[in-house]
Amino acid sequence: MPDASNPSPVAPSPGSRLWTAGASGGLAVLILLALAVYDPEHAPPLLAGALLVAISTWMVARQRPVPGQPEAAPVADNRPDTRAEGQATLLEEVFETVTDPMMVVRGGEPDDMAGRRILLANRAARDLLRIPREGAILVSALRDPGLLEAVDEALFGGVSRETDFDSGGVQARHWRAVTRPLPGSEAQTLALVMLRDETDVRRMELMRVDFLANASHELRTPLASLSGFIETLKGHAREDSVARDRFLDIMAAQAERMTRLVADLLSLSRIELNEHVPPSGHLDLSRATADVVDALSVLTRDYGVQIVVDAPDEAVRIKGERDEIVQVIQNLIDNAIKYSPRDGRIEVEIRSGLTPAAAAAARMPGAARLPLLTPDRDDGLTYAAVTVRDHGPGLSREHLPRLTERFYRVEGQKSGGDRPGTGLGLAIVKHIVNRHRGGLLVESLPGEGAAFTAFFPLSKRRAVTEPLTV
Amino acid sequence: MNQHTVKSYGDELNQLTAIVARMGGLAEAQVADAIESVARRDVALARAVVERDARLDTLHSDIEKKAIRLIALRQPVASDLRKTLSAMKLAVDLERTGDLARNISKRALILADGEPMLPLTRSIERMGKLVSNRLRDVLDAYTASDVDRAMGVWTSDDEVDEHYNSLFRELLTYMMGDPRTITACTHLLFMAKNLERIGDHATNIAETIHYEITGGDMIGERPRWTPTPSDSDVMAVDDPLRPQES
Repeated sequence: MPDASNPSPVAPSPGSRLWTAGASGGLAVLILLALAVYDPEHAPPLLAGALLVAISTWMVARQRPVPGQPEAAPVADNRPDTRAEGQATLLEEVFETVTDPMMVVRGGEPDDMAGRRILLANRAARDLLRIPREGAILVSALRDPGLLEAVDEALFGGVSRETDFDSGGVQARHWRAVTRPLPGSEAQTLALVMLRDETDVRRMELMRVDFLANASHELRTPLASLSGFIETLKGHAREDSVARDRFLDIMAAQAERMTRLVADLLSLSRIELNEHVPPSGHLDLSRATADVVDALSVLTRDYGVQIVVDAPDEAVRIKGERDEIVQVIQNLIDNAIKYSPRDGRIEVEIRSGLTPAAAAAARMPGAARLPLLTPDRDDGLTYAAVTVRDHGPGLSREHLPRLTERFYRVEGQKSGGDRPGTGLGLAIVKHIVNRHRGGLLVESLPGEGAAFTAFFPLSKRRAVTEPLTV
Repeated sequence: MNQHTVKSYGDELNQLTAIVARMGGLAEAQVADAIESVARRDVALARAVVERDARLDTLHSDIEKKAIRLIALRQPVASDLRKTLSAMKLAVDLERTGDLARNISKRALILADGEPMLPLTRSIERMGKLVSNRLRDVLDAYTASDVDRAMGVWTSDDEVDEHYNSLFRELLTYMMGDPRTITACTHLLFMAKNLERIGDHATNIAETIHYEITGGDMIGERPRWTPTPSDSDVMAVDDPLRPQES
């Protein structure tokens, strides 16, 4: 809703310098010519003067369109005007370019909720809230009650405040909002709303707390067992070489498990910290999968399982960090190997050019199915999915919602026998997939096996006119 | 956008949607804070949620009054009538959502007196996040008049049911394992049920949005991928105390 009472400061003013210079120059030339006609005696100097005025007027007029150029002395009186004009556009540019979302809110009647409108929103605010530059209703853009109250206080009480709010969504962001009253008029009060992204700070804090809690809790058990063995070795097992060797083997395994646990915890913390930062690289999902399968060939030979990969012929380019995507595929296949019977078969399938619904569609008919992660809606995206299907014991449906929980173990199931996991594998998968704005899905039928599907946005956004193939 | 000859008529309609959006924001915050009060055992926050519920009630009656006034004085038809009616329907759903959130916080106050039950409150938190996200999605759909987004919420309701069933079994296991936890677990069970009801209200809101924009009903049954186990199935859980052989 453009406001007629407040004309834009950048609109061209009628008393512009161009007009004044041209007109006064022309007038002077006319007068000089008239004098020369009336008084032919002094004609030569008068004509020379007219010529001089004409030339200087022409030069001033020519100089005009180049902005920011130092101006000639005769037009000095027009200076303040142009500077204000230049500053206004500059200020506007700055307002637009600031990376923090900023909005000017106009208050109507205090009891009219629809009267509070966003008078101006900079680019960052428009991108964040998906609103037009002018005229959006405030509550449609920002619903947080604390923030709305702060805006009201700025509009009608003239009070500055700082409030915090979470944006929600899959990649939740934490914002600090600063509200300030702006000088307005009787008829309309104004307030400035500035948002600052404090997600990093908040996440760092949470990560530290979580890491300490998890590490201290999960390392306690292996540490206790280590010190128990050490005690035994120092005591009555000192001379028993058979027992000593056995104990040392167990201790080595425990130490190895602790190392893996710390490594997994660190990698989980790192991924969580970056979860709201979109990945910058691109990679070929089929290639990454083939690499993982190659790298795991030793393990598959040991376990006697067979991996069958079904991938499209052309490259499947997705947006993502290669290392992280490799970790996702590796964790999924690793799990499948662990739960596969000897001589079992693991099917890995890659599909491309899918809508979110198609990517999350069931692959195992008749099985219980649960999305573990669903990306926020984005109509311009198509997805590529990788499905890892094993023929192990499968999971009963009541365990499905808790699978990505840290350290969650399905009771009564041995996790990988001699190579126990850390209980963080699927948690890591989920956080990586979330960072990539993808989705994760589990399907399972007890006795038949389980299938995990991770899907990621393809590199190329789908244009409306473009066909779906990549 | 359709223009009204009488400007204040359009203003009144806008105002109605704006109040519903504000009420939605409030209900959203109530649910989020209620879950947080359970997860962090935050007594002050739980009390604040209980107190703030009155504001939702005020907004609810405000919307009702404005809608009735609008119907009486302007006699809206077609999309304007649907807009007015859905504002009233949404207000009811949001008010109920607020009540359920208050209920959760009341139970959080009781739980805060007892021993912490970390794994269980974490499960409640996870289910709560899921429900909050659905509520947020559906309110975004309302403010953006986005039918597809609303449909997305409508079709994915069974996710909440899965979480509820899983939580039910988890609580049962706990109660069987240690009868002293039965009181706390019962409160947690009611919380889970309340969250599930909030999810249902989000689904109702999605249906109302669909009606407001298209004027038609949602077609067909909500898709269910697999039948959810009936209560008798849930009761027939294997005794979790029995050592499992496999």
